[in-house]
Amino acid sequence: MIGAQRMTVRAAVEGVRAALAAGGRFVAAFYEEQDDARLIRYVIAGKTGLVELIGIIENGPTPALSADIPAADWAEREIRDRFGVEFSGIPETRRLLPPCDPASYRRSAAPEVSTVLYGPVRSGIVESARWVIETAGEDFIAVYPSMFFKHRGLEHLFTTVDLGRATYVAEHVSGATAASHAICFSLAVERALGIRVADADRAARLVLIELERIHQHLDALAKLADDGSLAVGAAQTFAAKERVHRLLAEATGNRFSRGAVRIGGAYGDLLATLRDVCARRLDEVEREATSVVDGLFGTQSLLDRLIGTGKLSRELVTNYGAVGPVARGNGVSSDVRMTADVLFSIGEGDEALEEDGDAFARARVRANEIRRAFFIVRDALNADLATATPSYAAQRSGVGLARVESPQGELVYFVRVVDGRLARVAIRSASFANWPLFVHTLPGNIFTDFSFIEHSFGLIQAETDR
Amino acid sequence: MSNWLGRGLRRGVLTTRYPFDEAEMPERYRGRVRLVEGAPTHAVLRAASVCLSNAIEVQNESGHARMSRCFQCGACEREAPEAVHVSNDFEVAISDGEADAARHRLRERMRSLGRSFMIRHVDAGSDASCEQEIQALFNPFYDINRLGFFLTAAPRHADVLLVTGVVTHAMAAPLRETYAAMPDPRVVVAVGTAACSGSIFLTGRDVVGPVHEVLPVDVRIPGAPPSPLSIINGLWIAVGRATAHLAGPRR
Repeated sequence: MIGAQRMTVRAAVEGVRAALAAGGRFVAAFYEEQDDARLIRYVIAGKTGLVELIGIIENGPTPALSADIPAADWAEREIRDRFGVEFSGIPETRRLLPPCDPASYRRSAAPEVSTVLYGPVRSGIVESARWVIETAGEDFIAVYPSMFFKHRGLEHLFTTVDLGRATYVAEHVSGATAASHAICFSLAVERALGIRVADADRAARLVLIELERIHQHLDALAKLADDGSLAVGAAQTFAAKERVHRLLAEATGNRFSRGAVRIGGAYGDLLATLRDVCARRLDEVEREATSVVDGLFGTQSLLDRLIGTGKLSRELVTNYGAVGPVARGNGVSSDVRMTADVLFSIGEGDEALEEDGDAFARARVRANEIRRAFFIVRDALNADLATATPSYAAQRSGVGLARVESPQGELVYFVRVVDGRLARVAIRSASFANWPLFVHTLPGNIFTDFSFIEHSFGLIQAETDR
Repeated sequence: MSNWLGRGLRRGVLTTRYPFDEAEMPERYRGRVRLVEGAPTHAVLRAASVCLSNAIEVQNESGHARMSRCFQCGACEREAPEAVHVSNDFEVAISDGEADAARHRLRERMRSLGRSFMIRHVDAGSDASCEQEIQALFNPFYDINRLGFFLTAAPRHADVLLVTGVVTHAMAAPLRETYAAMPDPRVVVAVGTAACSGSIFLTGRDVVGPVHEVLPVDVRIPGAPPSPLSIINGLWIAVGRATAHLAGPRR
């Protein structure tokens, strides 16, 4: 991370515009109060990593980036709704956070168009979220996301606990991808305080993230199979996922590898334990996972439902700064693992890119990533690691920005540590980045396509709402 | 074309016999937390001091592990192994006793009609892992259809309401509406530590609290997330087929 200078928010916004015009991707806008100053930290992903621009909010409204940059829409509206910052020129006047007035949703004036509220309680075993759907029958005319029903105040909760136990809070942001969150948060604190992590622990963390990618991608594919009424295929895919959880329970004591990672490393000799358990179990887990994936992609009735469904244009993906399999399904490179801040970076040729931009392309990205994840796990387990000694907190205060490639895509944590306590934690999850794009896939599709498109995105509500 | 049937047959029977036979979680799995008998108070206090959700209480020199608050991080055992043992026992469901009557009526109705149990799920503010573990109940390893549990999309058909997550301000009303739409007798099962006790969110300003502050809860299944076997154990208790090892009070 480049050490960032403070400037006026106006100058920062202009700086962001220039960086985006030069090929950067908008990542996040984090609000922060510090020494009586109100700041917005703009984060942009460039070729060499993340760049920050810090703007001091002055009297009068802050110019909105989202006036011409859709990727900033949710970030700015959340700051507006949650912290009361006044912006000028946000095109979307409706509230992002509840309470939202249902009457404000409607955009169509045609009498044959009706507005349907779908959620927050839906059928099946799903997380709570709501969509406002304008329809004249079976088709989507316009859809508006109404989320954040599950806001639990996690960013604030971080600041109420001591640093040593804060990793457990990160695991509550998204329990389904607990390893990604625990590791990303730990990385941010380690950057902030100048802590070096031993290579063995870095390798163990990498193994946890890749195993997490495998079980979450299998989860998304199993749900797609279920949507396609492929009952046996879905059951077999869920069974393959179950084997990953059993391996994790054996190695880490938790089926979602919670309680395994700490700031500065991992608990116990995690790499040795993973090596031991994987030596006995990984072959079988891999055989089952790859064979169900082959099976799914050999079932024409399922593929017919995915091909051409929920199609996105590359322009839309770029404008919204989409990440993860959603971006890669449109041929947009976005894999954090390609940058140098991971133990084993993947090469450009190794990124799972597809071009078609439909549900089928996103499913293919997941399938390829499952296969590659097993290779990365084996590489990390077999690596001949230097016995570098870790170093412990060099300082008690600092700021850190870190990102990891979670199963849903790029996950970003910002932390400010003051005298060994967390003063501010801000999270930009992959799901938060990708949801705004979701509603754009719906017009032109019909109701029964909804779950296919939803599961081809494979996002998590808990990390969106925080 | 994939031959799913042939593939399924080649795998053989994967399904556990639990709860009719015993089942076991891996040695390292963190399930039920127990205090070591006769452990020195200072060691119990040390274990209690590292618990983020205050699951270990010490009063008058005697300690008590409150499973409903435990999110199974294992910090207590790492801090004071001489005072705390985190076992791989997954039968952690808590029955609060007050709702025995509803449970009894439900059981009688099922017996007389020979019917199965219909489950409805509501996410009140979960971390997404509890949903995936409930989903896992339907995979071939657990297959709770064999126990007579089926998922229903309509609250009107539901006998059992599974609630995940700490109840947020925005979800309290939708949760109450779902419960009100269910016919009597009905049982409510809180799934996951956040739903059971509020976990680390209890002091938070953004949540209402655990499920029992909004609805009458019959059975609580702590865990972060509770394993599918733990949920089967809790469901078995909820329909009066087993008794819980642990009982209230609701704190």
